[in-house]
Amino acid sequence: MCNFLEYKDTKIVYRRYASLFFIAGCGSEDNELITLEIIHRYVEQMDKYYGNVCELDIIFSFTKAYYILDELLLAGELQESSKKNVLRCISQQDALEDMEVEDEVTKIM
Amino acid sequence: MSSSVGTGFLGRSSSSNANMRGLVQFIADLRNARARELEEKRINKELANIRQKFKDGNLSGYHKKKYVCKLLYIYILGWNVDFGHLEAVKLISATKYSEKQIGYLAMTLFLHEKHELLHLVFNSIRKDLLDHNELFNCLALHAIANVGGREMGEVLSGDVHSLLISPTSKSFVKKKAALTLLRLYRKHPAIVQPQWAERIISLMDEPDLGVALSVTSLVMALAQDDLEAYKGAYVKAASRLKRIVIDGEFTPDYLYYKVPCPWIQVKLLRLLQYFPPSEDSHIRGMIRESLQKILDLALETNKNVQQNNALNAVLFEAINLIIHLDTEHDLMKQISSRLGRFIQSRETNVRYLGLEAMTHLAARADTLDPIKQHQDIIIGSLKDRDISVRRKGLDLLYSMCDASNARTIVAELLHYLQNADFAIREEMVLKIAILTEKYATDVQWYVDISLRLIAMAGDHVSDEVWQRVIQIISNNEELQVYAARNTLQYCKQDHCHETLVKIGAYILGEFGHLIAEERGCSPIEQFLALQNKLPACSSSTRGMVLSAFIKFVNLFPEIKPQLLNVFSVYSHALDPELQQRACEYLALATMPTDDLLRTVCDEMPPFPERESALLSRLHRKHAKTSDKRTWVVGGKDANADAAELSMATKPGGLKRTFTSKGPVPGTPTNGSSSAANDLAGLDMSATTTTTTDAPKPTKPPNLASAAHLSPGWERGYNRLMLRADGVLYEDGQIQVGVRSEYRGQMACLILYFTNKTPALITSVTTTLDLDEAERPNLGWDIKGLPDPTLSQGGQTQQVVLFEAKRVFTKSPTIRVSYIAGALQGLTLKLPVALHKFMDPAELSADDFFKRWKQIGGAPREAQAIFGLSNAAKHAERELSEGFVRAVVEGFRWGVLNGVDPNPRNFVGASVVHTSEGGKFGCLMRLEPNYASQMLRLTIRATDEALPPVLLKLMQQQLERGAATAQERPPPPTVQEISDAFRNVMVTTSSR
Repeated sequence: MCNFLEYKDTKIVYRRYASLFFIAGCGSEDNELITLEIIHRYVEQMDKYYGNVCELDIIFSFTKAYYILDELLLAGELQESSKKNVLRCISQQDALEDMEVEDEVTKIM
Repeated sequence: MSSSVGTGFLGRSSSSNANMRGLVQFIADLRNARARELEEKRINKELANIRQKFKDGNLSGYHKKKYVCKLLYIYILGWNVDFGHLEAVKLISATKYSEKQIGYLAMTLFLHEKHELLHLVFNSIRKDLLDHNELFNCLALHAIANVGGREMGEVLSGDVHSLLISPTSKSFVKKKAALTLLRLYRKHPAIVQPQWAERIISLMDEPDLGVALSVTSLVMALAQDDLEAYKGAYVKAASRLKRIVIDGEFTPDYLYYKVPCPWIQVKLLRLLQYFPPSEDSHIRGMIRESLQKILDLALETNKNVQQNNALNAVLFEAINLIIHLDTEHDLMKQISSRLGRFIQSRETNVRYLGLEAMTHLAARADTLDPIKQHQDIIIGSLKDRDISVRRKGLDLLYSMCDASNARTIVAELLHYLQNADFAIREEMVLKIAILTEKYATDVQWYVDISLRLIAMAGDHVSDEVWQRVIQIISNNEELQVYAARNTLQYCKQDHCHETLVKIGAYILGEFGHLIAEERGCSPIEQFLALQNKLPACSSSTRGMVLSAFIKFVNLFPEIKPQLLNVFSVYSHALDPELQQRACEYLALATMPTDDLLRTVCDEMPPFPERESALLSRLHRKHAKTSDKRTWVVGGKDANADAAELSMATKPGGLKRTFTSKGPVPGTPTNGSSSAANDLAGLDMSATTTTTTDAPKPTKPPNLASAAHLSPGWERGYNRLMLRADGVLYEDGQIQVGVRSEYRGQMACLILYFTNKTPALITSVTTTLDLDEAERPNLGWDIKGLPDPTLSQGGQTQQVVLFEAKRVFTKSPTIRVSYIAGALQGLTLKLPVALHKFMDPAELSADDFFKRWKQIGGAPREAQAIFGLSNAAKHAERELSEGFVRAVVEGFRWGVLNGVDPNPRNFVGASVVHTSEGGKFGCLMRLEPNYASQMLRLTIRATDEALPPVLLKLMQQQLERGAATAQERPPPPTVQEISDAFRNVMVTTSSR
């Protein structure tokens, strides 16, 4: 099957991972294959973060899935293709949160 | 199951939802809900709970966060959440990162760019943009990039821009700022100010590939709307591509399955397509080298899916660029054969993209032959098992159609139409109709195909199609008889599509009399054919048939009773439109005299020429894409002069010749203007009006032009007018030196750039410019680019070749920009002037006088008497013999001693070399009067264009005079003294 579909003025690029479909809409002029690989990079990125990502990771930690997406894509364009750099940003966020949690705990004690 | 996953999450540290046990439980509950009703029940319960909690107020940050998360989850499951937005928005101003983050996420999901609550957060967002913590900056940028609209842009774009260009911004902030600006620009172009262009372009040199990628995306959008302001991006894109593809300049984490950052490659290749191909051989060479490497890399075998996709993504973009460049014949040959293999590939995606690329090729290529050799395979793609491929096949067949294969292709399309997917039938009908009209060379074929098309696909025939057929037939006499005969045949059949009845009604009403004598076509037979169809037709068609009948009353008085009968029946019709028609026609037909009837039913005048509704309908489909298309589906003529075609309707559309004078089958007419002209005005304005609602930003100034010369440019320029090598410009940060060599009409300039700052300077960029009117006279070719990065004390160079083609008067200018903290820019005039292309000539006194006389006076002579300029006088400079001699020799005259009787006078001869204008002999006589400090300069040349130019150049230098021997610097002013002793004085005062 072709991974691209023309729909009205846009193109749909989709990819299936087990039971999950990842779907991206792009302009009719956009490069389809590279869009397809953006999807794959997103999946890989989640895989790296969650460690062997599955549907449940995304569901139970849906906010994280959004945060990862924000590090990868902005204004509809890929902003970073280095897995390491994206992961670094997310870990910084996590570190900041952990610090806040610790502060909380210290305060209560 | 869910509980085990739950614990898994709790076990993992630093997962944002891990701390929110309630949320995890809620999600688990919903997953366990077996039926939709149960889910709804659970959600309603939770919504009521949250509503109550919010109402009670006094919630801790943690609880607010948790409830907003629950609302978000409900929302993304597709349920309507109509409260809590305010609570979510308030979280944005929380001090804790985790709360803020949820607040921002909720805002981007719940709110859209026009939502009224959005105003409330402008201040919080600004605060976060300015925060010292970059993570807060990022949250704010994400928010703007996700929901920012015009208003938000107007308030915050300045801050976003600052984050983009600030030397202290981290890479991961910069790239987000670039894309945020892109979003805001798309929403409201005026947000990006014209003077930002140079700075933004310079960011394309950022060593961080993530920043370069994001900035390239931004530049792509900006450049499309203003090629001139962003033309500097072309060289940047070409050299960056080369650095990545050829020089391997990237860190390993940017390798995506062995392909170096395919995303930026694709973007750079695309950006290059927006500009007209460079004429610079060095830049072309760089692009060619990169393209060849890309083509070679794609041949690699043993690839996995990802690598294959990434390579092909880059490859297809490269193919598009090669097609766009249109000059790389060697590369073109390679891709033609490769595309032939792609369209037979086993991979569906590759077949799809191969067909797409071929369609692009057909839109641009001079000859369709390389495509035509695959015609059978392309036709076969209409039967592909994948609909996307079938559509692309259709596009390609449409584009590759020319007079030689039109019949085959149209026949295949008609054949395929019967089984085609419903979704594409209408488009197919349109395309078949256009091709039929475009390549019709004989009467029968056009009528046969058009009618068969409508008979077969009546339901998918838009009004434009059948109306166009009628217009063409009406305006072309040679079609009328054949068309009338054939429509009648169709109308006589039992199963005749209603659209054919419409055509039949019109054609027979107008031209039925032309065939009335033929067998089977008598008036009564024509009448019966139409009348039989009446009951099954819609009211608009019936109206048309009634109109045909009133024309019959005029044409065929012998069947008047039958016609009147129909009118009287319909004068009782329920449909008011039909009733009115019938009554009026009845009255008209039963008037005492036929005068009025005859006037009313007079033959219709030919249709006025207008744009083809078919094409405008086809192109309307392509409107509204965010990216501008660099080409449209269609042959080369459809792409030939889109702007011109869109401007107005072209005459000569409806009326066409069906004699053998038209395009002769067998000879490709692609590219010839006839096919394009035969089509009435191809209106593509719809494709270009996407951004008209937003006012276009004002044009930025061309900073490289002579109008923007930097202060202090003159010193070095004047010095180098008389010398080949030296310093052109120097300040505290940079030194620009020039070495030059002239040979005949060619000049080789080497520019040296030296970093004088104590730090790194980056993004060194040069742009050459010359007055538009002078470009045909002085050409140049850049032989290399300066290194973008200069270490402390480092030097880089750029070689530029100039060619004097004809006599020129103005010198080229160069814009040098670089980043040393902030963006710095210089515009300098290059010491390239006409006299540099002179060679001294040796002449004997006899020869000199002989030629002097041969040339004679005006117009081949120019003379001026002048002294020092006012500025020079003011500076107490003087004309000394040594100075005058230096200027004369600096101007490369062969000084002829002993020719002039007065030994103080200078006499010189030279030859000016130009490539297109040829060689010119020049003679000069300079008579100085040192006592009065005046000079008389006379120049004669074999062409009248030269003397005034050379005279002016020499006068400019001579007027400046030389410093007098006793010239001393003026005594220091108080200010200068205090500046010089600043350090000392500061210490004194602070004491």
